Amino acid sequence: MKTLLLRLEPVIWLLFGAGIMVGTMLLPGYLLTVGLGAPLGLLPEGALGYERAHAIASNPIGRLVLLGIIALPLWKGAHHLRALFADWLGHGPDGLIGSLLYAVAAVGSLLGIYAVLTL
Amino acid sequence: MARPSHPQAMTPHRPGSTRTAAPQVPDDFWTRRRMLTYLLFDATGLPYMLVGLLALRVAFALGRGPEAWARLMQDFSHPLYVAFHVLALIAAVFVGVRFFRLFPKAQPPRIGPAKPPPGLLIHAGLYAAWLGLTLVLLIVLGGLWP
Repeated sequence: MKTLLLRLEPVIWLLFGAGIMVGTMLLPGYLLTVGLGAPLGLLPEGALGYERAHAIASNPIGRLVLLGIIALPLWKGAHHLRALFADWLGHGPDGLIGSLLYAVAAVGSLLGIYAVLTL
Repeated sequence: MARPSHPQAMTPHRPGSTRTAAPQVPDDFWTRRRMLTYLLFDATGLPYMLVGLLALRVAFALGRGPEAWARLMQDFSHPLYVAFHVLALIAAVFVGVRFFRLFPKAQPPRIGPAKPPPGLLIHAGLYAAWLGLTLVLLIVLGGLWP
């Protein structure tokens, strides 16, 4: 398992790097509007009503950004949580924990691709 | 009990004439301020993963139709979701401030024939991109344009 993770390291690092860089740049704007503004009624009327939200998200750039907001934080989170577990529990269970976390990120990313393609 | 950190981490290529003790992680490492900040930085992984999974729910709700979207917005207005999204926002700002400060220091001395731009310029560029993207998202998702 560890060998496989080491072989995949360049891909994982690329996705982790994109997650921490691009993901972090996307999150505040997304969280302030979709996460907080719209549910709390702080946005102008209809700004994120279904029609407008769907139109934005189903635009090609919208699909790409939405996929970025789904997949990139997953990879950033998986890699950082793996590092946290390695610090606390040592390197013994690292192969198992790393594999589980990356599996969540991979399945989430694939579901994200499916979700943005079928909007 | 103190335990050895990566045993080979500090090993020189050729053993020198001076014997040095193996590096040790102190027992109370997680009570030290710098270590705590580092662990907190890694711990932001949890809100990041949850934000990713919730964004997946956002995408599926948009695909299912207006009722699913209304239900999602209803759920997101629950105090627990609001508290989580505030926490995630704090986590994202913390990661950005720390990572963008470290990023210029992690540049190689040369990229091919060129030297990377001065650290201050990279730092400023990252902040400009971060603020710019946030503004664009606020304007588009906030209903101001188009």
